[in-house]
Amino acid sequence: MADQFDSPVDVEADEQGLSGLAQMAVAVGIAVFTLAMLNAHALGAWADGLEPGARTARISAVAHGLADQAATRGLDGPRAALKQQWDRVKAARWPDQASGNQDQR
Amino acid sequence: MLFPTLDFGLFFLPVLLLVWTVGLASNEWRKIILLLASWVFYGFWDWRFVALLIASAAINWGCAQAIQRRLDDGRSAQPWLGIGVAANLAILGFFKYFGFFLEQLAPILARAGWGRDLPVLEIILPVGISFFTFQGMSYLIDIARRQTAPASFLDITLLVSFFPHLVAGPIVRASHLVPQFKAVPRLTRGMVATALILICWGLFKKTVVASELATGLVDKTFFDPSALTGLDLALGAYGYAVQIYCDFSAYSDMAVGLAALLGYRFPRNFDQPYRATSLQDFWRRWHISLSSWLRDYLYISLGGNRGGVWFICRNLMITMLLGGFWHGAKWTFLIWGALHGGVLAIERLWREWRPEGFPALPKPIAILIIFHIVVAGWIFFRADTLEGALAYFTQLWAFRPGLTLASPVLCGLIALGLAIHFTPPTLLPALGRRVAALPAPVLGLAVGLAILLTDAMRFEGVAAFIYYQF
Repeated sequence: MADQFDSPVDVEADEQGLSGLAQMAVAVGIAVFTLAMLNAHALGAWADGLEPGARTARISAVAHGLADQAATRGLDGPRAALKQQWDRVKAARWPDQASGNQDQR
Repeated sequence: MLFPTLDFGLFFLPVLLLVWTVGLASNEWRKIILLLASWVFYGFWDWRFVALLIASAAINWGCAQAIQRRLDDGRSAQPWLGIGVAANLAILGFFKYFGFFLEQLAPILARAGWGRDLPVLEIILPVGISFFTFQGMSYLIDIARRQTAPASFLDITLLVSFFPHLVAGPIVRASHLVPQFKAVPRLTRGMVATALILICWGLFKKTVVASELATGLVDKTFFDPSALTGLDLALGAYGYAVQIYCDFSAYSDMAVGLAALLGYRFPRNFDQPYRATSLQDFWRRWHISLSSWLRDYLYISLGGNRGGVWFICRNLMITMLLGGFWHGAKWTFLIWGALHGGVLAIERLWREWRPEGFPALPKPIAILIIFHIVVAGWIFFRADTLEGALAYFTQLWAFRPGLTLASPVLCGLIALGLAIHFTPPTLLPALGRRVAALPAPVLGLAVGLAILLTDAMRFEGVAAFIYYQF
């Protein structure tokens, strides 16, 4: 049973090598880079949601430029393939069950 | 600004950078950065309510100073404690309950011929108000009980405003967080690894499990139960049990993870609640920061266990009724609280009067019974109206055959949401230790790919967390 003040992050691990702060900095940096490369279209979609204006137009141009470059190099492929597989799994129905009940997208 | 959005990611990364660069040189600047960031975060909903946050912090800071002065002079803290608690309750009452009481009062006054003079106020509920007012009250009570010392104005304002817990908890107490604010935090590899696991797992639970179940099953079953089969409704009720767990525990996981990356430790808020063998056990595992708050500041203040069994049952009932009312000014929440209070009282009576030698229920049977009591409570909790909840039960009882809504993937998500309650409780720390040993680039790549996978599976758009409305 958990104590009311114990924290899930109180994990005693081997602290050899990089410090916790350096570990976080490198890990977060690489995670952001990975997402910027493989999920660049999300930046474009986010930029489309900004209020129109001169500054947001520049942000949008940069975001869409990045997304287009990623798409040209096929970097958006893994996400698209994953999504396609997941959509196929979601479309499955039990025998005799009508299809299309949960097609919300 | 919701945690599982790019908006939040683009807000959080610069804050993280500033906190671990500027903030390393000066702890005071670190706290000022966090405070300003928290106000920006809150201001995304409504800038006007940032003033409410500051006012709440100022009231609690002022009352805390006054309480401490009286205690130092050997006088009773009661007058200032009363003023402080009343002020917090007044803020909560005005924004959250004024409309409800007016609605209940209107027909009574109309019968007496005074109904026409009632004011009509459209009061916007500030996000997270139930959390920060409860936090303020526990701070003042702890000072009056000499369990914590008054904090500086900066610390108390940051405590109330700190963005990871601001809108949906956990209710982090001053005695737990203020001492952490006073020192420059230190990150360990174990803390970083566990924080990143919690953030990724929280993202998955919210954006895949909770969102799919909500839109594919639960919203439809509660919208029109009369059009559906018994199996649809049963799965809808189980689905909501999983949805609310995955939604709320996801917020808590992400809050704990984000706070940890900033260097602060938040308490655990969930501990596999659906494996509880009694309702008392359930409340030690579900929304732990609220249940322990209700126990320490309401149940014990009412007299707690110091009295006969009927006195204890009365206290349990009052505590759970008010716990239900805390969630919102609706009869469905009151009934939900009454159901939990009633079952807790029955459990207490049974413990008192159980015949000697009477065999205890086998653990799996006890888990099954408690789970179904909790699910029955969730139907009241989720229904928009009392009539809606009763219609749900009526249709469920009629049990028309067939299955129209729940697809294999939705059934699988329900099964997954329940199965995670039966994993070993040591799974997270064990995983944290393994992940902490990974080289930083591998860890970063794994986190990036985990978020990519979740993003590919997620529903378009993100609904607000269920507990934002409280």
